Amino acid sequence: MKKIFITLILISSVFLLTGCWDNVEINDREYIFAVGIDKGEEGNLIFTAEIPKINEGSEEQRLIYTEESKNFANFYNASFIRSDKVISDRLMQVIVIGEETASDPDLIKRIFDEIERSPQINRRVKIVIAAGDAKDIISTEIPSNPIVGRYLSELLVKLKKENYQEIYTFDEALLNFKDFNSAMIPIVEKFDDGLKIESSAVMKDYKLIGNLNYTENELITLLLNPTNSKLKNINVDVENTTISLGSFNVSMTDKIDIKENKLYADYYVTLSCYIDSFELSNKSLEDQNFLEKIKVTATDQISELTKKTVSKLQKTYKTDLLKIKDKLYKYHNTEYTKIKDNYEQVFADANINVHYTMVIRSTGLVK
Amino acid sequence: MFEKGITPYQNVSILVLVSFAFQTMLMPLILSEVEGPVGWISIIVGALILILTIKPINKIMDRYKEDTIVGISGRLLPKFISKTIGTYYIILFIIANSLLMKDFAEQIKLLMLFKTPISAIIITILLTASYAAKKGIQTISQIAHVTVLVALIPYLAVIVFSVYYSDYTNIFPMYPIDVVGVAKSVPNALFGFFGYAVLMFSNSHVSKTEKNMKLNKMFIIISMVIYIACYILIIIKFGMEEAVNLVWPFLSVMKFVNIPGFFFETTEIVGMSFQIIVTFTCVCILMYFTNLAIQETLETKENGYFIFIQIPILYVMAAALPGMYMLSPYIKIPTYIFSALNLLIPLLIIFKGKKKISANN
Repeated sequence: MKKIFITLILISSVFLLTGCWDNVEINDREYIFAVGIDKGEEGNLIFTAEIPKINEGSEEQRLIYTEESKNFANFYNASFIRSDKVISDRLMQVIVIGEETASDPDLIKRIFDEIERSPQINRRVKIVIAAGDAKDIISTEIPSNPIVGRYLSELLVKLKKENYQEIYTFDEALLNFKDFNSAMIPIVEKFDDGLKIESSAVMKDYKLIGNLNYTENELITLLLNPTNSKLKNINVDVENTTISLGSFNVSMTDKIDIKENKLYADYYVTLSCYIDSFELSNKSLEDQNFLEKIKVTATDQISELTKKTVSKLQKTYKTDLLKIKDKLYKYHNTEYTKIKDNYEQVFADANINVHYTMVIRSTGLVK
Repeated sequence: MFEKGITPYQNVSILVLVSFAFQTMLMPLILSEVEGPVGWISIIVGALILILTIKPINKIMDRYKEDTIVGISGRLLPKFISKTIGTYYIILFIIANSLLMKDFAEQIKLLMLFKTPISAIIITILLTASYAAKKGIQTISQIAHVTVLVALIPYLAVIVFSVYYSDYTNIFPMYPIDVVGVAKSVPNALFGFFGYAVLMFSNSHVSKTEKNMKLNKMFIIISMVIYIACYILIIIKFGMEEAVNLVWPFLSVMKFVNIPGFFFETTEIVGMSFQIIVTFTCVCILMYFTNLAIQETLETKENGYFIFIQIPILYVMAAALPGMYMLSPYIKIPTYIFSALNLLIPLLIIFKGKKKISANN
C-alpha cells in the first residue's frame, strides 16, 4: 500500500513539477531595451520604448512604442492590451529622461520612486538626460548600432570606466540625490548620424538647473576621483607654438576645514604628463627652461579653468558637486553638524582653491 | 523516538545557519536604530555578552548532559517556573519560525512567483520542512552541514561580486558615536544571534559534549563576523540614508552582483536560490526544536507528532502576520523582550546551578 502511495505521488509530481504554470516563453516576450520619458499633458508622461526584435532572430531591428501614461505601471498596462506579446523591463538598459521632464522635480521624484520601488527594474539600469526630447533620442537611427539602448549602454559603461562621467546608473543618481541632494547626470545629444555624451546635467533638489561642458565635467571628475582620472588633452601656446600634453597619472591630497563657520577647501593635484605633439625638428624640448615654461603655462591655464568651474558651482548653481559635504560629514562631523542647516550658503561662500603641480615625465619617442 | 547524537561541528552549522537567517531579516532594525554607520558596535557588544555566558552555561549543561534547558530548569527550579520557561521557548520558536516563513514567502512572491498565492508558498515550505524535521536531529544536522557548504558559503561568496563601485568611505563617521542608539540596538543584535536560543536545546544532542564550550564560542565569533560583514556590505553599497529605506537591504545588494562571464536576467534570483535552501533548513531546525521544547515541557515520550501539530499553527500565524516592512515599527518591543529573556533564562539557570553546587559542597 505504501509503495503504491509513493509511486502515485512520484507520478503526479512529474505533472505538477514541470515548471511554473504561468510561465511566458522568451518568444512571447517583448524586452524593453531603452525607454524615453518626456513630459505630457496634465501631469502625464510620454513613454517611448525601444524593443529589439530578438524573438524574430533580427538583432538589428527594433520596434518603437510611444504612449502617454501616468506612470510606468499605466504604460505597461497600455502596452499589454495592444500587443500579442508580454512586455518585460527586466533587460532594460537605459532610461532617457527628457529635458523638460528633468526640469520638473515632482515628475523626477515620481519616476525615481517607481523605478526604485519596482522589483523588476534593475537599479543598475543606466540613466541619461536628453538634450531636448527623449523621444528624439530613442528614435535616432544609428547606422553602426541601430539599437539605441545597447549603444547608449555600451557608451556609458566606457565613459564610466575611463572616468569621463561620474554617474552612469540609476542607482548612483538616486544615492547622489539622497546623500547630497544633487547629481551630475550625463547628457545625451544628437550628433550627425548618431548620439554623443559630452556634457553633464547639473541636478539639484531633483531638478535640472544647468549643465557642465566637457572641460568643466572633466575637471570635476578629476577632483572627485583623481586616481582614475586623467586630463585627456591640454593644449598650450608657448613661444608661438602649440604644444599638446596629456596626463597619465594624477595624485591628489585635500585639506578641508571649517573655521568660524567658514569652509576652507584646498586641493593639491599633481599631474604627471607626457608631450603628445610639438613641432618637427624643433629642439626646444631639450631645454629645461622651455619645459618649465610649458609647465607654468599649462598649470596656469588649468588653474584658471578650474577656478571658473568651481566658481560656477558656488555662485551660479550653489551646488556642491565636489561632495565636500560628504567629506565634512564623514571626517569633520562635529563641525559639520554646526553648519549643516545652512550648508548651501556656506558652500557658496567657501574658500576653495585647487593647486596644480605638473611634472613632465616623457616627451615621447623623440627628444 | 528520535536518535540523538550529532557532531559538535554539525551543531555549529545549525547555529550559524539559524543566526544568519535572522540576522539578514532583522538588519533593517539595526540600520534604523543607530545614527550613523556604527551599528557594528552593537553587534560586537551583543556577541561579547553572549560569549561571557557560554562558559558558565556549558558547565551547568555538562552536569546534566542529556537535558536541554527545559530539562535542567525542571531539576533546578520550581515546576511552575520550568514549565513557564518551556512555554516561553515554544512561543519564541513558533513566532520566530512564522516570521521567517512569512518574510521569505513574501520575497519569493515579489521576485519569483508573481501569480502564486502566498499561502501556497507557505504551505509548501511547511509540508516539505515537516517531513525533513520528522526524520530527526541527525538528518537535520546533516542537512544543515551540507547547506552551509552548498548554499551559505556560495551565497556569501557570490555577494562579494557586488562590491564593485562601492563607496568604502560610507563606514565613516565613526565619531561621535551615537551611544544611545548603539545601546538601544544591542537587543536587536542579540536577537540576531538566534542560534544562542537554539544551542540551549541542541548542545544536549552533541555526542562529544566536552567540545561544546569551544565550539559554541566559535559559533558566536563566526556569526558575529558574518553579521558585521553583511552590515558593512549594505553600508558601503547604499550608504546610511538609502539602507534605512530598504525593506530587504541584504537581498537588494544582490541586484549589484556582477560575475564576469555570467549573464543573469535578474541577479536577485541567484541569491534567492541560495536563500531558499538556507531558509528551508532553518524552518526544519526550528520545527524540530519547537517539537523538542513541547516534548520536554509536556514531559511526553513520543514526540514526532508535535511537528505535524505545528503545521496549522505556523500556517495560520505566517498567513496572519503582516510582512516585515509592516512589522518593523512594532517589532522593537517584542525583540527587546525576547532578547532579554533569551539572556536572562540562561543566567537564572547559571545562578541556580552554581547555588546548588555550592550547597552540595
